[in-house]
Amino acid sequence: MGNILRVDLTAGTLKVEPLSEDIARKYIGGKGYSVYLIYQYLKEYESKGITQADIDPLGPKNVLIFATGPGTGVPGFPSSGRYHVMALKSPLTGSIGSGNSGGEWGPFLKFSGFDAVIVEGCSERPVYLSIVDGEAELRDASDLWGKNVFDTCRILKKKAGNKNTSVTCIGPAGENLARMACIVNDEHRAVGRTGLGAVMGSKKLKAIVVSGSKKVQVADPDRLKEVSKRCLDTMRKNSVTGEGLPTYGTAILINVINEAGGLPYKNWQTAVNPDADKISGETLAETYLTGRRACWGCTIGCGRVTSVKSGPFQILSSEGPEYESIWALGSSTGVKDLDAIVKANHYCDELGLDSISMGSTIAAAMELNERGHIPEEDLQGLDLRFGNAAALVEAVWRTAYKTGFGKYLALGSKKLCEIYGHPELSMSVKGLEMPAYDPRAMKGIGLTYATANRGGCHVTGYTVSPEILGIPEKIDPLTPEGKAKWAKTFQDFTCVVNSTVNCLFVTFALGAKDFAELLSAVTGWDLTEDEILKIGERIYNLERVILNKYGFDGKDDTLPKRLLEEPMPEGPAKGHVVELEKMREEYYELRGWVNGVPTEEKLKELEIEL
Amino acid sequence: MVVSTKIMLFATLRKKYGVRDLTVKCDGTIRSLIENASRILGARFLDEVYDRKLGKVREDIILMINGRNIKDLKGKIEIKDGDVISVFPPLAGG
Repeated sequence: MGNILRVDLTAGTLKVEPLSEDIARKYIGGKGYSVYLIYQYLKEYESKGITQADIDPLGPKNVLIFATGPGTGVPGFPSSGRYHVMALKSPLTGSIGSGNSGGEWGPFLKFSGFDAVIVEGCSERPVYLSIVDGEAELRDASDLWGKNVFDTCRILKKKAGNKNTSVTCIGPAGENLARMACIVNDEHRAVGRTGLGAVMGSKKLKAIVVSGSKKVQVADPDRLKEVSKRCLDTMRKNSVTGEGLPTYGTAILINVINEAGGLPYKNWQTAVNPDADKISGETLAETYLTGRRACWGCTIGCGRVTSVKSGPFQILSSEGPEYESIWALGSSTGVKDLDAIVKANHYCDELGLDSISMGSTIAAAMELNERGHIPEEDLQGLDLRFGNAAALVEAVWRTAYKTGFGKYLALGSKKLCEIYGHPELSMSVKGLEMPAYDPRAMKGIGLTYATANRGGCHVTGYTVSPEILGIPEKIDPLTPEGKAKWAKTFQDFTCVVNSTVNCLFVTFALGAKDFAELLSAVTGWDLTEDEILKIGERIYNLERVILNKYGFDGKDDTLPKRLLEEPMPEGPAKGHVVELEKMREEYYELRGWVNGVPTEEKLKELEIEL
Repeated sequence: MVVSTKIMLFATLRKKYGVRDLTVKCDGTIRSLIENASRILGARFLDEVYDRKLGKVREDIILMINGRNIKDLKGKIEIKDGDVISVFPPLAGG
């Protein structure tokens, strides 16, 4: 078992603690272990008379946890270059904070000698945390404060000697406490969602640098070799993980989702984008692609290296944009100029902003503005209208620096729309902006959005896979029938993936049985498929218990009114709304929940001790 | 009966066959549609998209008629005049 580094930024102290095998056996690592720790923090706070309402997401009582899992950084473990970050409270949603990133940082945290880092308190001055071969130290970051993500990564990597090192950090958006600020590692890989960059900014923690060359120990190397070979072979032969994703990356989804009538356009007023092909993965590959970049140990390599060769949005080298980013910054805002979308995405990475929440918030502002709900003096000359590429790019950096109208955008779409008197125009669930799939055209993802613990999220349970892509089998996207079972199974299994921690994309080729074998080989626990799905369910339920403590329940497991009441105006899903109530009732029944709250029997069955 | 359709190709198919879309006439069946498209695009298109042994579109190909995957359509599939057929190779993302 490895070690956890506990950092108290208020006191400036560092403490090394062993990982608990008992906890790991029940919650694996990564997200699962973090959910367990968050619950323990809340219990400890309660014992001191501190309620959840006393936890300011941007104050010292909030806690950030950076965690790897048993798969992270293990050679041969499929696509295991990832780590998970959680916070007691998100400044964007007021609920649990959660995000996940690839690149190299996760493995290098392990190579530096730690499985996880817990960050408590707030520093008075800017600092960064350096971990080199098991030795951790807080260092002054005054000269880094104000620097963008790319500079911060380069400077700190150089200081560490450039070898066997990775940097995760925040940009100006995190420092300025923009509520959709993200944490970015290795320049372009983001812990995107729920505003965790702002939490890091509030703690005055600019970066965590990890260096090391320690080998990750596995329980049964021979068994791992055999299972790994089989799994990697399956992935290579699989048409999606072996060819589709390596060739086109994630942006290839733009056209297929649009053809299915599910690509939200102009703040979800419809989901058929007449200009989808102009911003598609095919166009990106033909015109912008200069190379590929894989995360540590990944055989898929979906990352895109791109450039905008000339014009006002010229960039010599960038990465992405991913499907979700193209959609949020492009389709959602009605911008069809891919140059501008690539540039806006580049700024999101450089300044440290979640491209999904950023694009969606700009789209909400565009609709508010076009409907005449924003006074001209608030806009300060920013012409926020659908399709305005220049305004899109300007809005991104204005948000990061909170200048002009940027101070309103930096609040996220929910608060923005509330301020201007039209909360119904925020396309969010539990305060988190929904990603790139309109559930009127694929009902299952609507149930996932509504019931996802962290809010409007697709990767909590990616039912788009069976509904549109036909993986592992094809189901009709336009019917609500049977979607509850898919949503629950995917949510539970995804908890396992995020606790392992490896990439969700491997699940296009590998199933729960493969994960059970891989985890058994690495940990020596001899897990079965049913056992790991039960662990996933346990994690999801404990996370839900935390949400319930924060006051979220069935009333929050819902969707924006537009999706429930405004029929899709055109395309294959014309006339459809989301029949949420029916799906949710079936889902609660399967979950053993009443009104979004796990029953005592369910918690007992899952061996969750409160 | 002869109907005229527009076939749209995406991703690797677009690159491989060098066209974004083409007009294809057929007798209203999927098989006739793909066979006639192959006469324009080349014989390998037929084998890439259609499983001749099983007499149906290959399992991992996404073929939509007016945005509806044929796997989700109930009953006998009948292509109508003016239908838009979208053909995708296996793909994913998220």
